Amino acid sequence: MNKPLQETAEYARLLLEGLHDAGVSLVAAVPDSHMSGAHRLLREQNKIRYVLASNELDLPGICAGAYFGGKKALMIMENSGLRQACEPISRYAFTHHVPLVMIMSYCGDFGERNWWAINHAQTMEPLLNALRIPFRVLSDPKEIKPNIGRAFMHADSSQWPVALVFTGNCLEVPAYLRKAPPHATN
Amino acid sequence: MQRIDAIKVIAPFFTPEDLCVSSLGGLHQDWWNLAPPIGNTFNPIILGSITTTALGLALALPHRKILALETDGSVLMNTGSMCTLGSQRPGNLTVVVFDNGIYEIIGGAPSLSSHNTDLAKMAEGAGCINTITVRNTDSLKREFQKMWTDNEMGYIVAKIEPGMHRWAADQLKTTDGVEDKYRFIRYIEKLENIVVHPGSQR
Repeated sequence: MNKPLQETAEYARLLLEGLHDAGVSLVAAVPDSHMSGAHRLLREQNKIRYVLASNELDLPGICAGAYFGGKKALMIMENSGLRQACEPISRYAFTHHVPLVMIMSYCGDFGERNWWAINHAQTMEPLLNALRIPFRVLSDPKEIKPNIGRAFMHADSSQWPVALVFTGNCLEVPAYLRKAPPHATN
Repeated sequence: MQRIDAIKVIAPFFTPEDLCVSSLGGLHQDWWNLAPPIGNTFNPIILGSITTTALGLALALPHRKILALETDGSVLMNTGSMCTLGSQRPGNLTVVVFDNGIYEIIGGAPSLSSHNTDLAKMAEGAGCINTITVRNTDSLKREFQKMWTDNEMGYIVAKIEPGMHRWAADQLKTTDGVEDKYRFIRYIEKLENIVVHPGSQR
């Protein structure tokens, strides 16, 4: 059964409100556990077209095409997906100067309990810097709405990709970790 | 049927009211010369992102006919995009894959479509509708005309023989990727009477 909006995580509700305020009409995404509530909200509404992609390699093209058609489009993925999407992002940025706005979860951030997630953080910032992508790390949900508007403004004026990286209270604890043993909690 | 023959079949159907996303290599030189270079075609220099770009454009402008000109090498670089396309099935998008079974522009190394891979069957299995393989200009013309006008998505794999048309130097496309982007954006702004990139005029 669907949860009413007020029962969803605050970050997810504010994200959806921020997308509406910014005039976003298309979200292309690969779901991840740290933002599952946001993906659920997006799936269950009709105002924004939610395009579920096979993998992150699809996202830059979909959002670039939507941009050419005059729409505000957003990529959402886990930060590990940045590695998968690197080639089309770099081509769209360096070859064509196409603005892309992306939100990614900061899997592996300081305090991470999963050994396999650490590498996602180790590679994220170097990759963003290599791609010359300006980014902001958001941990307070109150930062979400104003930064969505700024991200779209900056991407369009610079004609270059921009990233928002969600961590802290802008993420949720994945269901598979809620019953983690005490020594494994943050 | 070589690529130049196939493009000669398709180009007459493409009007200034339509938009195209085309793959790179020799294909975009052929299209540049055989379809009017008025700005309604964009060439992403990104193998594996032709169909996805056309998909985003088709979803953004559902009233506008969108043509994606693909190659076997590009499709093979991101076969997952077939699944994404198959889940959306935009009625205004027609994909044509020119499949010569080789990477011709780099010297003719075989692609996997020359082995056991059937791209049309893959697209069908991924959820795409109206998928077909054609092997001559008559069947290409018949199938393209139908798919271009039926308001359903179409996915045509055109099996072509190797062979590149040699265009004269003054017939080659000379613009770069940034100029191409702005030409395409400005064309769409006029066509749709919208603002895509306002620049400083906010």
